[in-house]
Amino acid sequence: MNAPEGGSARALQDVGEGRDGTGTERDAGLESPAGRPARRGSADPVRALMHRHHTLCAHAVDALEIAAGLEAHGVTDRTAARFRHRDVFSLAEELYARVPRADQNGTAGAPAGGGSAGAPGGGSAAVHGTGPAGGPGAGEGYPEACIPAAGAARAGSPGTGGGWGGRCAAVLQLLPGAVTTATVAALAALTSPPGAATPALPAVPATPAVRTAVGAVGVVLVVLAVRLAVRSGPLRARHHGTGARTTGLWVCWTAGYAVYGDWLLGQLLAGGPDLPSATPRADVATAVALSLAVLPAAGCARWFALRGRRALAASRGLEEFAALVRPLLLGATLLFLGALTALLLGARAALGSHGAPAPAVVAPAALGVLLFLARLLAVHGFPRAAVTGLACAAALEALAPALVLIARLPGLTPLGLPVETLTTAAGPAAVPAVAAGVAALGLLGYGLRALTGACAHSPAPTGPAGTPRP
Amino acid sequence: MRIGLLTEGGYPYASGESHAWCDRLVRGLTGHDFEVYALSGRPCRDARGGHRLPEHVRRVHGAPLWGDFPAAHLRAAEERRGRTPGRRARRRFTEHFGALVSAFAAAPAGGRPAGREEPPDNAPTSKADRFASGLYGLAELAREHGGLPALLHSEDAVRTLEAVCHGPRALPAAHGAQVNDLLAVAEQLELALRPLSLDWYGDGSAPGLDAVDLCHATSGGAAALPGLLAKRFFGTPLLVTEYGVRLREHYLARAAAPISAPVRALLAAFQGALAAETYAQAALITPGNIHARRWQERCGADRARLRTVYPGMDAAPFAAVADAPADDSRTLVWVGAIEPAKDLVALLHAFAELRRTEPAVTLRIVGGLGRDPQAPGYLAHCRALAAQLFPDEAADARTVGENPVSFEEIGGPDVPALADAYASATVVVLSSVVEGFPRSLVEAMFCGRATVSTDAGAVCEVIGGTGLVVPPRNPRALAEACRALLGDPDRRARLGAAARARALELFTVEQNIAAFRGIYLELMSHAPARPAGRRGRHAEGLPRPFDRPAESHVPGRWAATGAAHRCGAVTGPGAPAGRTPSWAAPEQERGAGARVMSEP
Repeated sequence: MNAPEGGSARALQDVGEGRDGTGTERDAGLESPAGRPARRGSADPVRALMHRHHTLCAHAVDALEIAAGLEAHGVTDRTAARFRHRDVFSLAEELYARVPRADQNGTAGAPAGGGSAGAPGGGSAAVHGTGPAGGPGAGEGYPEACIPAAGAARAGSPGTGGGWGGRCAAVLQLLPGAVTTATVAALAALTSPPGAATPALPAVPATPAVRTAVGAVGVVLVVLAVRLAVRSGPLRARHHGTGARTTGLWVCWTAGYAVYGDWLLGQLLAGGPDLPSATPRADVATAVALSLAVLPAAGCARWFALRGRRALAASRGLEEFAALVRPLLLGATLLFLGALTALLLGARAALGSHGAPAPAVVAPAALGVLLFLARLLAVHGFPRAAVTGLACAAALEALAPALVLIARLPGLTPLGLPVETLTTAAGPAAVPAVAAGVAALGLLGYGLRALTGACAHSPAPTGPAGTPRP
Repeated sequence: MRIGLLTEGGYPYASGESHAWCDRLVRGLTGHDFEVYALSGRPCRDARGGHRLPEHVRRVHGAPLWGDFPAAHLRAAEERRGRTPGRRARRRFTEHFGALVSAFAAAPAGGRPAGREEPPDNAPTSKADRFASGLYGLAELAREHGGLPALLHSEDAVRTLEAVCHGPRALPAAHGAQVNDLLAVAEQLELALRPLSLDWYGDGSAPGLDAVDLCHATSGGAAALPGLLAKRFFGTPLLVTEYGVRLREHYLARAAAPISAPVRALLAAFQGALAAETYAQAALITPGNIHARRWQERCGADRARLRTVYPGMDAAPFAAVADAPADDSRTLVWVGAIEPAKDLVALLHAFAELRRTEPAVTLRIVGGLGRDPQAPGYLAHCRALAAQLFPDEAADARTVGENPVSFEEIGGPDVPALADAYASATVVVLSSVVEGFPRSLVEAMFCGRATVSTDAGAVCEVIGGTGLVVPPRNPRALAEACRALLGDPDRRARLGAAARARALELFTVEQNIAAFRGIYLELMSHAPARPAGRRGRHAEGLPRPFDRPAESHVPGRWAATGAAHRCGAVTGPGAPAGRTPSWAAPEQERGAGARVMSEP
């Protein structure tokens, strides 16, 4: 390892001489062996080389890179001998030592991975606070406000393609709400007297069987629509999740409990159900509001992802990044909670639901936040945590009716006490509120640790960008 | 014997220069069994229906070096408690990955102010040791837990990287690494270390690299990683052949890509450390020319284990070309792919200079466009320049004139085949400023033509003393050399004959294949007890000589009747034990063969 030291020492010496006397012709004999006057009058033959390959030398990370670049430009050992060097490597070392490095900050702000390759100005935009996509209200205004920025920030896809895809995704995310509303409307039409509501249609006898069939079709369509909505746009999981097979089951269970659970628990507590004659009473407003909330969820998720990526470009260390993302996560959650509460209240007002408003709004709101956080975690590469949170909530919700039933057994009556106390204190909706709330808080705590890591915001998508997973 | 051929981005999936060489090698060495372990570099090239592999290629394993880790190729882990790596695995990962990263991301000793307090003598060795221990520690982790790709994608990896890069001894360029850069580096490292997690090591039912006798890596870098592991865990000798130095290609590719400086610095340091480890572990390194050899020496390869093996070229198409007639024909021929690096402008100027004294001379420029994006414009420029410098000429006032410089392509009416171009030449010229291994020069030598070439790349090494060499960018010297040859038919004939003899001696396919055949046997003779299943004996005591009869190296299924059936019943189908006679292998070692990797 003598060569590097020798090279750099010699380089320093050369720099000194170059500064002192550029005019001295100490290498004149070297330059013009054939008697022709030297075209370049410099005393320092390497200086011309430095000038010619300045970009290469200034951006090189080590001497070998300069050597590779010089060889690609046709510099050989014979050429290096003209500069009084043994080979290209030692010539490259002198160049590396003499040429000042390019400004690190200038290149560090440049795109690093494949993901943010299209947005060199991303760092500065993030530093200056709210970008075009920003702000509260992104939940409702998401299709118009967020898409151009998202399209510009996405790497490979041209702006128009991203915009079109985003618009398409927005339509898809409206789909669950639309299907639910249509189903509810159809059921309402069937329940009302046939002559009054639908004079044009043939008088369908609104038997329970028909209503059940319509309801079942509606449920299936809603499930399909939700499935479609979360597989595209900002709710699409980039990483190939592992062990997410049971997610659908838990989601269906918790959502089903939100719609039918209060009725079921009330029946159970009252000593029922009288199975042959029992008609399940659905909480229609909750169903409509939850399915409509897919759109603000997508908006919040996109806002979070975008701002997270900008924070990634702006921060130097992991701690700094975590400190930037933590309020983002809380903000996104609160934003979604606000949007969901507004939707719930609106739906209840529109559909004229009954029951005590306070717990009846809290329970679906908690469930919505739980689902949102679970999806956020899954999108950013933590599907297992998401499944665990959902499974916890589902288990708690299953436990409550089970306890009530078990308490009917002789000798096990004390087991039903907690549920009964809770219900008498705050109504049947308190059970799902507690279950989903606990799970959501757990996921939020986990997310504050996991989603503030850099890996959750890895700029390079692993799959081809823009194409939804099959 | 069984050769594990380790390739990257080429054979047998994609066509290219190295593909042709691998194909010739495999087809030439019919005496050995080959197993191909191919890493494919780019997503688009996965079409392999083009040609059939010869029969003695027993198995082909492929894995992509892009995108997600292919779950089908994941190494079968010994213990699989859960899907996610446990806390113990994560702690081990952090330890080994930290050693790996701190080994390559630390500033070199001396020269930098950060390395002032390090003792300068043992610093390089300790760095290499730490790199090796980290690398093989990660490999063991991949074998035992199987979750290495997930761990490399995890927050732990980024945190380790951050701790090292922002630490006191990090590379100066890495100090400015931002979170973005760390993520990009972690991702690239996952790709680069992917061979550690592949199912190529015979853990599962299928035999893999534990059953081969010799690993032949056709390039450095990622392709050599499986060979390193096989060397480490099975004692398989590793042969590294590099026609283009992988590290240098990495530098050139990264310099062209839009990657920030810290990422480039860290990845370059990693590739450099990997190359050093590869060269240190390889039993033999065969560079393709002096240039590659210099790079390898620079990266720490031991001179004693370097042996230049020139790439072989097919001499058959040129065998029919007659020796140059000793007449006074006056045709210069240039053959190659036209691009700026070939400096045709200098050739045209030299030709103009030459025509002042030799008006009858003509120049044929034969070849298509090169891969350089500026090539079409350059060709147009050269054509225009030729038209300006040389007006069309005719013999008398009644004939149609033509330009003394003609641009032709292979397959045209005048040049149906490459050999015809050389056959028409009095002198073959080469005017490149940048050159790798000059193929057209070797072809001219095969045809027995006298040559004038510029001193670029491997030209001097190829031509030896059998042609004239002038400095690049010196048209006058080029013209003088051509003039000297044109005026001296006897000298032309002598040089041509010598060139043909030299090329047939050094640069034929047969020479290349024979060299590798000899190298294979030589390496095998240095590896006493192969395959890996026999290694248990060393742990117990002295190796037992002659426990493998000479017949066991004969390819084919010679033992399919007797011993292989008996042994196969114990170790499973296809296990290497089938090559050992029954008296040579005690029963208790059958079990030891399966867990030989757990030994240090």
